[in-house]
Order: sequence, then structure tokens, then C-alpha cells
Amino acid sequence: MISQNALHHAEKCRFCWMCRHLCPVQHQTGKELNTPRAKGLLLSMVHKEAQQFDKDMAQAMYECLLCDACTNDCATGYQPPLFIREARTEAVVSELAPESVMHLIDNVERTGNIYGVEKPGFGREGTDVLVYIGEAAAVKAPEMAENLLKLLEKAGVSAKVLEKEPASGVMLGDLMGYTEEVRQMAAVCAKALNETKLPVVVLDSYDAEIMTQKYPEWGFEIAAGVTTATAFTAKLLAEGKLEAKAPLGVTGACHDDDRLARTFHEFEPVRRMAKAAGYDLTEMFNHGKLAKSCGTAVAWGYMPELVTRIAGGRWTDLTRIGCDTMLVANPETWQCLSLCVPEGCRLVDLFGALL
Amino acid sequence: MKRILVCVKAVPVSAFVEVDSQHRLKRDGINLQWNAADASALEAALRLAGEDGSVTVLTMGTSKLESPLRELLARGASRAVLITDRRMAGADTQATARVLAAAVKKLGDFDLILCGCKAIDGETGQVPGQLAAALGLPCVSNGETLEADPDGLTITRRLETGTQELRGRTPTVISLCAYSYPLRLPGILGMRRARNIPVEVLNADDLGLLPEQCGLKGSATKVLAMESRFPGMRRGPKETDLTLGAKALGQILREVRP
Ligand code: SF4
Ligand code: SF4
Repeated sequence: MISQNALHHAEKCRFCWMCRHLCPVQHQTGKELNTPRAKGLLLSMVHKEAQQFDKDMAQAMYECLLCDACTNDCATGYQPPLFIREARTEAVVSELAPESVMHLIDNVERTGNIYGVEKPGFGREGTDVLVYIGEAAAVKAPEMAENLLKLLEKAGVSAKVLEKEPASGVMLGDLMGYTEEVRQMAAVCAKALNETKLPVVVLDSYDAEIMTQKYPEWGFEIAAGVTTATAFTAKLLAEGKLEAKAPLGVTGACHDDDRLARTFHEFEPVRRMAKAAGYDLTEMFNHGKLAKSCGTAVAWGYMPELVTRIAGGRWTDLTRIGCDTMLVANPETWQCLSLCVPEGCRLVDLFGALL
Repeated sequence: MKRILVCVKAVPVSAFVEVDSQHRLKRDGINLQWNAADASALEAALRLAGEDGSVTVLTMGTSKLESPLRELLARGASRAVLITDRRMAGADTQATARVLAAAVKKLGDFDLILCGCKAIDGETGQVPGQLAAALGLPCVSNGETLEADPDGLTITRRLETGTQELRGRTPTVISLCAYSYPLRLPGILGMRRARNIPVEVLNADDLGLLPEQCGLKGSATKVLAMESRFPGMRRGPKETDLTLGAKALGQILREVRP
């Protein structure tokens, strides 16, 4: 069941090929099926009853990071992730989604996260802000979460973390599209966050995206506002609540995660953090709005081998410019990039670097 | 609340639409979505119906609406009915209400009929009242909230100057404002269930309507000319006094509020 709006996007493509060179999945797999326009064409053929929606097609819809690089560069305003997400819903409804994906969906339904483990707690009391840690950080990058909390303490910010932090719904939304099940999960999260009446600082930009873009559309806004942890930290630096470190004499490049780059258009805060941590900055090819994704926690969950290659591609981008230090401030990019750190290279958590 | 019927309309997504030589909106090939106020009415109906009630969605339009109607079944509607007939093209609000009323009568008894307060393409807001008149039922317009108890309904209406609370009995027709009730999304189980529910299709003959009661022929109003204006442009005096400016702005905002 693909919506009219999604179909409209699938059929708008002019086959200009501009997005072809931007898709990180296409880069690594080399498969024509993994160009955004091919996925649109497939869905259009299904709609015209020229092709069946089958297991192979469902598989193709999951070979995508929902990174939005294609949308960003499409002259026709065509948004492949819109229909790719809906095609994932169709795959789940028709029981055609890959088994690895269904396994992750079961995990999320049981535990709130793709890892299928009880989320480690970071609970603490505070009065200034509520920090939302998120599933990926809590399970796969707990040090980054601890570093953010220590940094806030250092800046004199009284930060609360919920003892039992509900899942935001972003993982389930990426796995099976925006369905009522995801909206219900989001409603529980929004209610818990709103009960604190505190402004929310979100560590993982993937969570921040669903909270700012989808929650209001679904009828539950975070009343006291949502800020990304990077923007909040940069503000603390600008206000002098955190001090800059002495230059390290090391050059690093910031990896812009795709949601920060393309949903929030947020590039400066991470760079301000990197400079304050003492790094000299250089830039990789495809940074800022054109940032190339290095993978996501969800995609890693069902295609770890491909995500490792995609993350490897980002390390190649770094070494190609003669740099060996990758600077990140997102737990999901941390998780993916740490899968394959090349010898002699370093992955730096900017929250930790500022301590 | 046992049996609820919701009238829904597919409207263009874009504000840039074309009209044909008879000033009818060209709907072929354009991207359509369910009118926001109608979506709100559907959510209100689903909440009132609960587990034991039933919600029928009724629309009038081209046969292409079968698939979007299925999406409403996936969101929780129990029955979907599409009235489609070339002879109905170009209907004004009265002819539309006549057709909808004939369908409501054919489809059975309903405790409540909900509509959106107006569609974003025509912006008339006339159909709910005309439908109620055609069915001989009372009508409450611009409902914002709607609650049912064993003795009847409590409706909060949005007015230009505030809100009004009313008590009402069923059956009745109520039009709801957009965004009062954000419509739930289709769920996985709902989508699986919707696959097995056929969309019922009706035409003028099924409804016992004559050609002169439908479409352009059955319409009392004729659009003679159309003129496009720059959207958002409003001519008015330039106000330099802050207090007077704030007052004028308040007036403008009240004007567009519902
Ligand atoms: S850039 Fe847009 S129009 Fe061009 S091939 Fe990609 S999706 Fe199609
Ligand atoms: S969203 Fe990203 S991964 Fe998916 S098709 Fe577009 S560019 Fe490729």
C-alpha cells in the first residue's frame, strides 16, 4: 500500500543520474538496483502492475541508509527515502521483509532497541535540561553518553536523565516505515519527555530528527523544545561556560552525520567543538550538506558487512586528504566508524575531547 | 457510538492547480491527499466508535480513489464507499450534498455523520449544512472537540471570538475543524486487514439519481469566470502606530482563524 504522495515521488524522476554518484550504498555495491532512481522505477512498475512486489524488491528497499543524500541533490525535488520507507512498510505487511530485518523488529518490540538488550540506565536528577541518550548511545556508545553528561556537569548545567528512557521510535520507523505502531511508541516517549517540563537535549541526531519532524505531525510536540547535543554544547562554548583547550597541533576532519547535515543543516557547532578541543580542521570531500553517510545503527543491525564497507569508504575519504583523525559527535556514526578504524587512524569523540 | 459515517474528500497537495474550460479543477495526474479537516473528522469517529462501533468512510471522485480509500481502511475504518460517475463531474456543493445524502440513505442508519468543516480546494464549508438539510438532520459546524455519553454529545465549536460548548442528540451532522484530531497512521495489522475488505463502488443509478440531479446539470451555481491573485497579497493602509498596527493585525488574524 504505497501512498499517492510516495508514488508521485517515485514517478517524478527524470533519470538525470545526478543522484547516482551520491548514494553511499551504490558506491559500495555497484548495483544499478541500488541507485535511488532504480528503486523508484521498481515501485512505479509495481503500481502499474508490470511487476510483483517480491522478496528481491523488498531486499532492495532495505539496501538504503535513508540518508537523504539523493533528495539533497535532486533537481526535481524527488525524495527517494519517502517511498523507500513506505516500500519497507509494504514489505513487512506482505511478510516479504528480509529475516534479518524481522528479527530486529522483534527486538525493538521486546526491548525498544534493535540490539534486543535491556537498555542500560543513565538515570539522574537535574533541573535545567533533560538529556535524551537514545538506544544506540546507551548500548553501543555509552562512553560518549557519559562524556556528554560529564561535560554538562563541567559547564554547570544540571542535567536530568530518565531512569527508564523510552525509545523514540526512530529505529522502528527506519525498519518498517512510519506506521501506527511507531506513532504509538513515539507517543509514549513524548509523554515521558513532556512530563519533565524540561527542554530536551538529544545526543543522537536520529532521535532528534523524529522528535522535531514527526512528533508534531503526529500530534505531540515536545513542549519545552528539542536541541541537539552538539548545538547545545556549542552554545555553552559561546557563552564561556566551557573553556577551549590549547591547540593540539593535530589536524582532524569532522564527519557530518546525515541527519545533522540534511535535516538540521547543522555544520558549525561540531566544528566549533572540534576547534575548542584543540584540533586544526580540514574537510573531507562531501562534507556539510553533501555529507556522505558512514552507515546507521539500524542498517548495521541487518547488513553489518555492507555497513562496515560503507564506513570503510568514509575512512578512505579521510585518508585521501592526508588526514588520520576523524572527529565525530554522534553515537551512531561512532558505532559505524569504529567497525573498521584503519591502522594509524584515530576516531575521536568530541564530547570526550572537550573534557 | 455504534454507527458513524465520515465524508472525506481528496484534494490537491499543491496550491498550483489547473482548471478546464468549464472552470472545473483538473484532478487527473495531480497529487491528491485527504483533506485535513476530513482526516480530523475520521480520527474523531474512530475514537468515538471504539472497539464495538463501526466507521464508514464515504467519498465521491474518480475510480483512482479506490487505493487511497484502502489506506483509510488500514487506519481503522470498517467500510469504504466510493461514489464514482462521470455524470457527477463539476458538481457544486448542493449537487454534491444531494449525492452524498442519497448514499447515506442507501448505506443504512447512522448515529452520527461527520465531515470536515471545509475542503481546502473549494473552501466553501457548505456541504455539511446542505447534507444535513437534505437528510433532515440538525447540523453543528466548526466542531473542535466531540465527546459522547449515554445522553448525547458534547461539542466544542470554534468561533471567531472564542469557543462555544453545545449539547446535542444523535443522529446529527457535525463538521470538524482541521487538526483537532491528528489522524492515526495505518498500522501493520490494519494494512493486512484492509487487503480483505473490498471498497464498495456506487454510481448515480445505484443511488437512484437522474442525470439532471448530478454534476454540472444538477448544480444551481455556475462559475462564469476565474481570476488569479497573488497568494498572500492583501491591500490595506500602511500602519505606523504600533497600537493601531497590533489592533489591525489582530483583526486580520481573527478573520482567517477558522
Ligand atoms: S537526481 Fe532526481 S531526477 Fe535525477 S535521477 Fe536522481 S532521483 Fe531522478
Ligand atoms: S537515501 Fe541515501 S542510501 Fe538511500 S538511496 Fe538515497 S542516497 Fe542512497
